[in-house]
Formats: sequence, C-alpha cells, structure tokens
Amino acid sequence: MKVRVLRNDGSKQWWQEFSVESSKRATVLDLLLNIRETQDHTLAFRHSCQMGSCGSCGIVINGKPSLACQTRISELKSETIRIEPLYSYPVIKDLVVDLNDFVNKHRSVKPYIIRKNPQELEEAPMEFRVTSAENMSFIQYDYCIMCGLCVAACPTVALDPQFIGPQALAQAYRYIADPRDEGFKERKAELDTSHGVWRCHFAGACSYVCPKGVDPAQAIQLLKREIYKRMFVRGPKVGAPVSVLAKQEKPISNQPKAPPLDFKSGVNQNE
Amino acid sequence: MNKRFKSGLLTSLNPTRYNLERWSYTLHRITGVILALFLIAHIFEIYHVTLGIAGWNQTIAELSNLGVFELIGMWIIAGSALYHGANGLRLILNELFGLLLGKPRLPEYPYSPMSLGRNQKIVIYAITIIVVAIWIWAGLYLLAGLGIVRW
Ligand code: SF4
Ligand code: FES
Repeated sequence: MKVRVLRNDGSKQWWQEFSVESSKRATVLDLLLNIRETQDHTLAFRHSCQMGSCGSCGIVINGKPSLACQTRISELKSETIRIEPLYSYPVIKDLVVDLNDFVNKHRSVKPYIIRKNPQELEEAPMEFRVTSAENMSFIQYDYCIMCGLCVAACPTVALDPQFIGPQALAQAYRYIADPRDEGFKERKAELDTSHGVWRCHFAGACSYVCPKGVDPAQAIQLLKREIYKRMFVRGPKVGAPVSVLAKQEKPISNQPKAPPLDFKSGVNQNE
Repeated sequence: MNKRFKSGLLTSLNPTRYNLERWSYTLHRITGVILALFLIAHIFEIYHVTLGIAGWNQTIAELSNLGVFELIGMWIIAGSALYHGANGLRLILNELFGLLLGKPRLPEYPYSPMSLGRNQKIVIYAITIIVVAIWIWAGLYLLAGLGIVRW
C-alpha cells in the first residue's frame, strides 16, 4: 500500500511517498503511526483518543477532510492514499495545522448561556428547566467535537478567511435555540454581518464531512431564518426566569424525599 | 494573484469528493459570474443608445455580425439565467423559510445530515431536469432564428 503525504517544514512543502504494510482493519491513523514508528520519526500529526471523540486527528484523505482514526483503509478502495493537512488552515508542520483562528471564531459567538441577569447563573436557587422536546431542538449541535473538518470542507472559508465558518455558526445557533438563553441580541452583532451568517451560500460540504452528524449547514440556515424572523416578530418568551419557576414549583429541597432503598431485601422485590 | 487566494479559489471551485449540494453551489457561483459579466456587457451595449440612431444601428449590426458566437453566447447566458434563477428559488426556500432541511434530532450512527436529505435531493434533481429541458428548447429556438432548424 502506498501512502503519499504532503509534508511541510514551515517554509516549503513537498510530497513524500511511503510504502506500508496494512491489514484490512487498519485505519489511516494506524498507517501514520506505523510510518512514524518504522520509517520516518519526523512525520508530525495530531491524535489522541483514537475513537472519534477528541477531534484532533483531522486531515484530508484522498481529497476529503476526514478523521484519520475513523477512516478505514478498506473503505477508501484505493491502492494509493493521498494525505494532506486540513485545507484553509495555516500549516505548522506536516499534518499539524494552526487552530487558533478556529478557536477564536468559536469564542466570538459566545458559546454559552447568556442571561440578562447574570446573577441567575451564579446563584440559581433551582435548576433551569429544559423539556426533552426543547432539548431535541439543539442537542444535535452539542455533538460537535471541534475537529474543524467542516471548516476545511467549506468552499466559502477557502475564499474568505474572515468568514466565521460553519462550526462557530452552528454553535451560535445551538445557544440561540436554547430555551434558557437570552443572548440573541448580543450574538447578532457578530452574526448579522457580511462575514457572518450571510456569507454562507449553503454548499452543505460541512454537513457532508462532519463525523458527528452535527449538520452545521442546517443550523446555519435555521439561524438565517431566525434572524429574518426576529426582524418582524419578537423572539419566543425566553425560559421562565428562575424566580417564576420557584413560585410555581416547590424548590427541590422541599420536595418529599424518595424512601431509602432497601438493599438487603433486593430492590425489585415487589415486581 | 496571491498564493492564499489562488489555492483558496482552487479548493473552492472543486466539488469532487463532495455532496450534490456542493456541485449545485459551484454551478450557482459560475453561472452567477457569467450573469454578472453579461450584465456589464449589456449595460455597455445599451449605452450606445446615447450615440443617436446611426450609432445604435451600427452597434446592432456589429453585434449580429458575430453569427454563431452570438448564438452560443446567448445560449450560455440563457442556461445561466435559468439555472441561477431556479436554484436561487431553492435557496430561498432553504434560507428564508428553513424548508427542505429537516428538523434537528438526536444524531444516530451512521449519521446522515438532514439538510442534505431526500427532499433537498429531489428538488435539486427536479430543478436540473426542468432547467435542462428549457435550455434545450431555448437552443432550438435560437437555431430556428438562424434558420438552421425549422420551428
Ligand atoms: S461541526 Fe462537525 S465537522 Fe465541524 S467541528 Fe464540529 S464535529 Fe467537526
Ligand atoms: S484521535 Fe481522537 S478523534 Fe481521531
């Protein structure tokens, strides 16, 4: 099996070819580790969990941004594998790219719950309630592992480096759709700009490469709709403030306690 | 051209290995550029009206001298306008009304993004078929104008 890697030492780049033995179950990450162990210990790449949860092993495999640890050789169906660093990011060395800009853009959309009265977050006497139906409207976007593949796949990011990008926009929508959040206006300043949400022309490549089913393209279109909508109508009534909840329901501490479990006689004795 | 922009342009215009929507995005951009160039040329053409009747007639005569090139040009512009318009309507459904995108849900493996789902694909295929049919018709119409095809 031939592996061609686009190497980069910070000043110049070149293609280097390796021949590697591979088994049917091997992943591309296994190949890279193998190369580093047996052929060229200067080959730089990132990885950590090896199970698609940390998002650090993103590279471009045969022209498609993918997680190295989640791509099996057998599914590539090619004798030569072409490996490049993620598109649209500055390369530090070989397959390691600089994610600073990516992380800063994520920060810029304020990816956390904003309340008009911040004290409610610090000193809440009760939890903020979210029903499971409400949860369904944003849980999908919570699956993001910040691997950055969507940004590498985006044809718009490729042309406009200032574009906030699919990952950050999806996270912006995740918090705007959250019934506990009151930060629409604050975020709008960042999103409702020419390098913000309107730069997206819906190529959908982000959703196509996302390894976690986040579907950022969907979030971005829904975000556009939300911004249009709120030009004419007020946003939904944001989740009842904590004090109202406290009036309606007994605080947790006053609710009757469940009887202690009787472990000696077995938990399910009556069933 | 600066290096960053050049490689960005190449990445941006290359939809191979990606989804159908990205192909239609690429076509949308290319047809958009064609229409923008046409619009500039068209405004330049119209400007000749200010040269009086003789000037205008001369412009028209020069343009019709182009013969086959005019025909091909018109056909390309017709195709661009058709595709850009029809695909634009789909994008309005997507972006303004949030249609064809499915609803957010709990992702389950193997993940398949809802926004690139069946409804979206059906509409893209329908647009392609309709646009190609009208485009062929437009081609025949143009050929008939030259007397090559009997209408
Ligand atoms: S949205 Fe998907 S592709 Fe983008 S960073 Fe998150 S997990 Fe990765
Ligand atoms: S190593 Fe963690 S996602 Fe691949």
